[in-house]
Amino acid sequence: MTTVASDDELSLTFAALADPTRRAILTRLTAGDATVGELAEPFALTQQAVSKHIRVLQRAGLISRSKVAQSRPCRFEPARFDEAAEWIGRHRQQWADRYDRLDEHLAALRATARGDEKDGDA
Amino acid sequence: MTQAGEFTYRRVHQASRELLFDCMTMPEHLTSFWGPDGTTTPLDGITVDLQPGGRFETVMVNRADGSQYTMRATYLEVSRPERLAWIEADVEGGMTTTITFTDLGEGRTEVITHQTNVPQAYSSPEARRGFETSLRRFDEYVTALASP
Repeated sequence: MTTVASDDELSLTFAALADPTRRAILTRLTAGDATVGELAEPFALTQQAVSKHIRVLQRAGLISRSKVAQSRPCRFEPARFDEAAEWIGRHRQQWADRYDRLDEHLAALRATARGDEKDGDA
Repeated sequence: MTQAGEFTYRRVHQASRELLFDCMTMPEHLTSFWGPDGTTTPLDGITVDLQPGGRFETVMVNRADGSQYTMRATYLEVSRPERLAWIEADVEGGMTTTITFTDLGEGRTEVITHQTNVPQAYSSPEARRGFETSLRRFDEYVTALASP
């Protein structure tokens, strides 16, 4: 299922990625699903601390947790990440368009300046 | 050099640095080009308090349905005509935009727009393919920022 993330959801995504431990957790999950216990091991964190990070990542839509096994392994969900990347693309485009319009504005200013000169000469 | 965690947009315009700086900071200019296509940026919706800590706000109005979007920013650096920077505190925990104006001679000016606080992993499809590498580089970038 494809859902379009709102700006608020994207903010959650960016906020979730602003923490080095959560990025490390995501990095680990790109290699394959893992349980909270497996994720806690390399970070010298308690399972409780990892669980907290997991909840933030889950809220941000960056990971999901299986309901099948009792250990409820975590899985990286690339969809929201792709949406965030697409957002950046749009953002760049906004600047490209803005500077296009600025060029038109500058051309208009030059045309006006030339017009004024002519008026002055006349 | 483009650091991890920022994206850069470069343009060359046929105008002086002073004029370009004024275009980006004077409501009379901004109203002509600021908002996205399909919107207007009315003069009375533009607030410019051109000093560090001063407000920079623009209300953009959708031509089709009249709906409004307000950009709220605070100036971080105002150095006419070399550099202009502001931060949008509400966007992704603080989106910083820095615009640098460089004189290329013959009336041409290079305008470089940096936006930071964008995770490196997001900045290009290529970077995205190397998701793991990108996250690690972003880590290093943030770490470098945090060190004195």
